[in-house]
Amino acid sequence: MKTATSLKISISGVRGIVGDSLTPQLTASFAQAFGTYLGRGVVIVGQDSRKSGTMVKKAVLSGLLSVGCQPIEIGICPIPSIQFLTKQSKAIGAIAVTASHNPKEWNGLKFINEEGLFLNYHQMEEFLDIYHQGEFSLVEAHKYKNPKFEKNPSRPHFKKLLSYFNVDLIRQKKFKVAIDCCNGAGAVLVPQYLDALGCQPILINCVPDGLFAHHPEPLPENIATLCRTVVEEGADVGFVQDADADRLAIVSDKGEPLGEEMTLILASKYVLSKNPGPVVVNLSTSQAIDDIAREFNIPVIRTKIGEINVVEQILAQQGKTAIGGEGNGGVILPGIHPCRDSFTAMGLILEYMATSGKTISELQKEVPKYYMIKDRIEGTQEQAYRLMRQLKKKYWNKGELSLIDGLKIQFDNYWIHIRPSNTEQIIRLIVEAKSQEVAEKIAKQFKKEIGELSKWK
Amino acid sequence: MKLLKIGISGVRGIVGETITPQLVMNFACAFGTYINSKPVLMGRDTRISGPMLHSACISALTSTGCDVIDLGICPTPILQYMVKKLRAKGAISITAGHNDIKWNALIFINQEGTYLNTFQGEEVLDIYHLGKFAKASTDKLGRISSANNYSDVYFKNLSKFLDVQTIKKADLKVIIDPCNGAGAKSIDALSQHLNFELVSVNNEPNGFFPHDPEPRPRNAQQVASIIKVIKADVGFILNSDVSRVSLVAENGETLSEEYALPLIASHYLKKTPGAIITNFSTSKMIEDVAQYNNCTIIKTKVGQSHSIQTLIHEDAVMAGEGSGGIAIPEFQPTFDGFLTIGLILEIIAKRKKKISQLIKELPKYHIVKEKIYCPPTKVHSVVNGVKKLYPNQEINDSDGIRVDLDNGWVHIRASVTEPMIRIIAEDKSKEGAQESAEKVINFISSLLK
Repeated sequence: MKTATSLKISISGVRGIVGDSLTPQLTASFAQAFGTYLGRGVVIVGQDSRKSGTMVKKAVLSGLLSVGCQPIEIGICPIPSIQFLTKQSKAIGAIAVTASHNPKEWNGLKFINEEGLFLNYHQMEEFLDIYHQGEFSLVEAHKYKNPKFEKNPSRPHFKKLLSYFNVDLIRQKKFKVAIDCCNGAGAVLVPQYLDALGCQPILINCVPDGLFAHHPEPLPENIATLCRTVVEEGADVGFVQDADADRLAIVSDKGEPLGEEMTLILASKYVLSKNPGPVVVNLSTSQAIDDIAREFNIPVIRTKIGEINVVEQILAQQGKTAIGGEGNGGVILPGIHPCRDSFTAMGLILEYMATSGKTISELQKEVPKYYMIKDRIEGTQEQAYRLMRQLKKKYWNKGELSLIDGLKIQFDNYWIHIRPSNTEQIIRLIVEAKSQEVAEKIAKQFKKEIGELSKWK
Repeated sequence: MKLLKIGISGVRGIVGETITPQLVMNFACAFGTYINSKPVLMGRDTRISGPMLHSACISALTSTGCDVIDLGICPTPILQYMVKKLRAKGAISITAGHNDIKWNALIFINQEGTYLNTFQGEEVLDIYHLGKFAKASTDKLGRISSANNYSDVYFKNLSKFLDVQTIKKADLKVIIDPCNGAGAKSIDALSQHLNFELVSVNNEPNGFFPHDPEPRPRNAQQVASIIKVIKADVGFILNSDVSRVSLVAENGETLSEEYALPLIASHYLKKTPGAIITNFSTSKMIEDVAQYNNCTIIKTKVGQSHSIQTLIHEDAVMAGEGSGGIAIPEFQPTFDGFLTIGLILEIIAKRKKKISQLIKELPKYHIVKEKIYCPPTKVHSVVNGVKKLYPNQEINDSDGIRVDLDNGWVHIRASVTEPMIRIIAEDKSKEGAQESAEKVINFISSLLK
């Protein structure tokens, strides 16, 4: 079977490789379809810091104008700021030009509705139907709108953050904070934000020029410079954002990368201690969350993978949710807005440190320790489903099964989660256990078992 | 029928119908592929659809690896002038010139600052039809920059070309209507550099056209109604990209757009004799002026692309069309409305005569311009069929059919923008011109029955 490797159209939007599949023409068609879907109105157009951002953005503007929308260009802007602005303003939606954590050759579009949320599964389906039908509501010349430019798009988001957190308390601590923005969109707001929180910032890769100094995903193997800097400069904490600034990973005062799972764990512990309420996370998020929730005697609600699924569940809880998010460093605090937001995560961690008077490594010791292994096995969606049926038959009475997204089996001391990838021809295998050894053993065991069950190799 | 005209000099159509982001991008990608990773200038007139085409062009050009120097709202003659000054390899002007607001177009400019010639245009069209465009990877995408004070460079050089001292001494009061097009605000700079007092109407570059942006008497009413009251010496009507101009006399008379060319030629050929390029639809006045100055006339098909190509090929001293576009290669080989205004002011200043008197010195003809609907599939056979009407006359069929009659001529050709046949007739008497045109219209009607 031949597969397109450079263009992905999925629930998270469109992604492609510039100079290959992501052409001006394709981009304009998606913008036209989006404008047709929303109806004529104001649409915010933001971008991350990628070098191809302007080429793609100009195509978006052209497409939106042709269907009678009024684009407001906001330039390079963190995704959470775009989402916040969209909800606050009279815009009927927004397009973010970003390929999130994909390498620099990539770019893409994310589609945001008037609530500032990414299109959900059903909205995305409706929108893609319009794209595929190819009939866009082109308007006559006299109905064209004039594009506008907004110079300070992060302002509403920034103000909300400062009004939410205990700024005076954080300021007193004068934290020394090392931060790596990966030369991404976060760089346009980070210096101002840390300054407002009275921190002494040490900026690494904080030029929003899209020249990613390392792979733009906040994984331990990508942040050696940050870890070293934290130690050398004696910083209280190190932060790393992904390229569009929705995810955050933490480096301890000892220069140790805590792993992206730890961001939501620490944030949840702090939020629940102040404001106990249900926690919404996806299926693959660490069970440390369950342990913490148990301490406060509150439920954890698990959803399918994908930010919008977590967000939809938070919204369904109608304001009761205290915190939500994903194990990949995406923290969602409904009190600010129901979006993954690295600035919210930073604020929570700094406030936690300030309130508790403890160092980040001390705080880390207070939460349950788990080890997670993420692996991948080659295979198509079809093969993945066949495999999951077989595993289900075998394990139905040996652990607690969840079928809402792939197959998750919770055993006494560990869990495994198997699901087909939405974007690649692979099956993802995630294992979490109390110790590194057990996690590795279980991962190996299931990989072997999968190999035996699947006869496609 | 959907209106779209693809030609060697560019593509023109109705916005929202044939002019879509994808069509514009495909043409800009073809042009960028042709230019091959070199810098390209971008400019546009003020049409409200302009930003859509402008964004589409910039996205497409940079995607092929061409750097873009963006001049924003810019009259085409200034854009063309800047191509050489900024050492660009080409330019795209987004303007539909004299067409109404429904239309927009891309005009391709080569590295000499002129419309593409036939060979260049065909190469771009081949790339367009083939659909294989250059695709730059992220690191090789074109970059976007803008140029500052570029109109200053243009106007300084224009002033050097003209006799600014004489214009200044004449203390002229001039009224100009740029129709809120690309000429808006630029005319302020023109008045400062050429030292005349400017009274402007519709001088906001907002794309709201108070009348059709075609320089001809029926669109000159605003200027004509106030010119006597404010005691201005002359009035000018511009099209949306300042490539064409028509005149209003100091006495309030709206002058035919045909006058600018012979008026300037009668002045310019005296000091710079040489061949003149014009088309088959232009008033015989220019032929008389040329003959009087012992200069030859060469006729081409209608359109700037054709006349400039011939101008360069024949080493002519001037090219112009009766519709008000005039090029003088000694300054630059492009239709240039600012130059046209400057030369006419120079004539008024030097001759110390009123514009109405200068016009009276020109040979007297009457021209009528008519058009008749014809289904697009029949246009060429109908135009050709009109030949039967003139069994005994010599017929030139280089551009439609042109027949010289005893006291004038008649020209029948297909419109380049609409499913129409244009009939232009000129005669020494008004009645004669009308009669010639009616004869053709009646004949065409009978052919269409």
